[in-house]
Amino acid sequence: MMNSQATKHVKHAQWQNIVIIFILLFMIVSALPNLYSDTVSIHLISKNNSNNNHSQVENVSAQAINTLLTKHNLTVDKIKTSATSTVITLANNAEKEAIENLFVDTFNDNYSIKNAVENYTPLWLKSLGGESIKLGLDLSGGVLFVLDVDIEHALSDRLKSIALDVRTLAVENRIRLRKVSQPNDHAIDIDFSSLKSGGNEELLTILKKNYPELTQSNRGENKVRLSYSQQEQVVFRQEIMKQTLKTMRGRIEELGITEAVTQKQGKNRIRIELPGVHNPEEARRIIGATATLDFYQLAENPTAAGTIQMRDDNGRKLTMNGQVVFSGSNIKNARAGQDEMGSPMVNLTLDGNGGKKMSSFSKKNIGKPMVTVFSEFYRNAKDEMVKKSKVINVATIQQHLGSQFSITNMASSQSARELALLLRAGSLTAPVTIVKQRSIEATLGADNIDNGIKALAIGIGFTLLFMVFWYRTLGVIANISLVLNLVSLLGLMSLLPGVVLTLPGIAGLVLTVGMAVDSNVLIFERIKEELRRGRKVLSAVEIGYKSAFSTILDANITTMITGIILYSIGYGPVKGFAIILCLGILTSMFTGVFVSKSLTNLVIRENKVQLMGVKS
Amino acid sequence: MRYLHLKKSNRLTTFRFISFYSAIALILFSLLGLFSRGINLGLDFTGGYLTEFISEQSVTQDKMQGLLTNYLPADFQLSSAENGTYWSVQQADNDISLKGKAWLTDFSQQSGLTITPQDAIYIGSQVGDELINQGGLALLAATIVILLYLSLRFEWRLAAGSVIALFHDVVIVLGLFAWLGLSFDLTILASLLAIIGYSLNDSIIIGDKVREIMKRNNENDVDNIINIAIKSTIVRTLITSGTTLATILAIWLFAGESLAGFSISLFSGVLVGTFSSIAISATVPQLLGLSADYYLKKEQDICQLP
Repeated sequence: MMNSQATKHVKHAQWQNIVIIFILLFMIVSALPNLYSDTVSIHLISKNNSNNNHSQVENVSAQAINTLLTKHNLTVDKIKTSATSTVITLANNAEKEAIENLFVDTFNDNYSIKNAVENYTPLWLKSLGGESIKLGLDLSGGVLFVLDVDIEHALSDRLKSIALDVRTLAVENRIRLRKVSQPNDHAIDIDFSSLKSGGNEELLTILKKNYPELTQSNRGENKVRLSYSQQEQVVFRQEIMKQTLKTMRGRIEELGITEAVTQKQGKNRIRIELPGVHNPEEARRIIGATATLDFYQLAENPTAAGTIQMRDDNGRKLTMNGQVVFSGSNIKNARAGQDEMGSPMVNLTLDGNGGKKMSSFSKKNIGKPMVTVFSEFYRNAKDEMVKKSKVINVATIQQHLGSQFSITNMASSQSARELALLLRAGSLTAPVTIVKQRSIEATLGADNIDNGIKALAIGIGFTLLFMVFWYRTLGVIANISLVLNLVSLLGLMSLLPGVVLTLPGIAGLVLTVGMAVDSNVLIFERIKEELRRGRKVLSAVEIGYKSAFSTILDANITTMITGIILYSIGYGPVKGFAIILCLGILTSMFTGVFVSKSLTNLVIRENKVQLMGVKS
Repeated sequence: MRYLHLKKSNRLTTFRFISFYSAIALILFSLLGLFSRGINLGLDFTGGYLTEFISEQSVTQDKMQGLLTNYLPADFQLSSAENGTYWSVQQADNDISLKGKAWLTDFSQQSGLTITPQDAIYIGSQVGDELINQGGLALLAATIVILLYLSLRFEWRLAAGSVIALFHDVVIVLGLFAWLGLSFDLTILASLLAIIGYSLNDSIIIGDKVREIMKRNNENDVDNIINIAIKSTIVRTLITSGTTLATILAIWLFAGESLAGFSISLFSGVLVGTFSSIAISATVPQLLGLSADYYLKKEQDICQLP
């Protein structure tokens, strides 16, 4: 009876060990790419190669280059000269530009200068798809964007749509208007002069109700001006800025950059810092484009007032009712997908308001075409804001649609994905242009990383020494699990997308290590206590691990709660710190409890006379 | 022997209560600092002036830092780009005497550098408001959720003790920053949240021990229970605090200027966190009337069910 139970226990332990070893191996492999960083090398190739004139231009000697670089306070890793070229491997990637410029100045007459980025990660590791940890703006440099939000344009657009609404309301209420005009960017004039006897009060009351932000003022006989007061313009601007900031954050998150800092700068500018982005074009495209999607009804009577005309890709002329059915700001979610035939499409989900509009519109217009217009704002060579609209799709409404529907007939799955991304990230009502884009170097970063690693090494060194001194054999076990904890944490950080290491992140790493020993200390103190109570070594170890576990769990769950809230509410450096805190808790629970338990079982297989200086 | 043991316990109780009252005094002192001097919010929170300029010569960051420190009266943040020729200086909103581009020409003449001014931008304090709201919200949300979790896992008096200890730790670190006039930036906010985690960790471990002893039901005196719990966890508390403090000290000394404030905050936080786990989180439940047979009664209640 006893025997079979023991075998069962051993089998169970074996299983656990296999799982633990598998996880550890996985983490170590994930952490490995961090050992191999990208190196930049500059190639100097003699220009006279083709002229059969080898002797005329000699290769620059390694010493000469070294002297030149030292004179300018620059350091390199390696200089290799061969018959035709000289390869200089850089020690610090941030100095690439400086060295390149120096070479262009000195050698440009006789040599062509090229640079190459190489990564010496072994092939097998590359094939596993491992990546190294991404670094934040303070450590790796990155790109800075300053955006200008065109509030005036947004206000003018807003009034345009109000003017259209005024016309519609007038028709609905059988009130004849002579003219609705827009004298400037923040007012519209309504001319009632064709109205013989009163009756405009009715319309004005409705307008007052629908647009409480507008001030109504009489301008002569039967003319009313609706305008935004100074105060309301400020409110409008603040709302637009808030919405734009939110949209920008959404877009940047779509790019997978969690460490980005998005701030309002001055009245109508936004400052965005993107760490680790060295090729800003993708970011520029996503951030810079102001995409709005408007859905229009095809006009039944092309000559009616308030229509707009556009041509689609095939040059076909389309006339649409000026009033949009619904617009991009009603879009809650957009996702690229495929229909049953495998052709790409975009699935859209609308918010309540948009869903209502779509529902009532599609119900009345089944079988009729609906035009999807995609507009992008950009700044032309003369620095003027230009709106470029394109009909991307003319679809026939097949059925009564609700808040969920799809745009089919997309050109490719790539274009479907891009459209979905822009729509999902939110649609801006104000056009945004990039007024400044600058790359930030990481000269400070290299120092920060070095210092961080130094602090980490010293902190860990002290902890390791203390644990061995205090707990002897078990201390060694705690140390092994501490090192494995660090490796697992690095592995997990490399593995998860969106985890970015910043300076506070490094501090979080150091702190995690300091606190990681806590689990082991708790367990070992518990074992000591059990030994003092007179238990045999093996059962004291067993009970020590078991009963300390609930304490460790409680303590870690509360810290985890803090970390998760920190992650979900904060952003920027706070977020980076929170991620590392949370991941550190996970790995320290794993290595501190499970790994060290397995190691302890491996080392202590029989009842010794004493453990940690306590006789049993 | 028995008498001696009792006397020792009593001494610990006295120590606990003295600590508890000095903790309250410390909180009051910190609050006084917070209200009289206020927190010196960093650029992250206040916003301020961002001046950018190009220097003809390439200058190292250290050298420029030194030059500017001599010239500018107040705190600033400096960052460089494009091989030490493109500079941006961030100044807080309070040094009104040095706003705009005028100071740059002066600086150029004094330092002998050829400087071309670029943008001078005011970064609005709304940025700050948004971040302060978010940070405050994070702190509040964390506290509430933790209190709920602890009340589920422990007796509510123990949970209250932990949360009061946490409040104590955060207030004292804030008070320290107020009294010393250290700049409070986003990394300090991050460290405050780490302190919350650490403080709870300490309190929970003592609370857990109290619960265990109460369940074992050997003791009838709450005072004794708490003292035993503290004694049996003191070694663990000291070791963990010691190693954590040592690593923080390593950051403080070796990780450079930019993490100094962060280290000071964490170091003091861990220190007072250790103190408060004994002085407050173990003492408050007793003051709130924790009864020694709470878990016993609870079990009886459950047993009485058919």
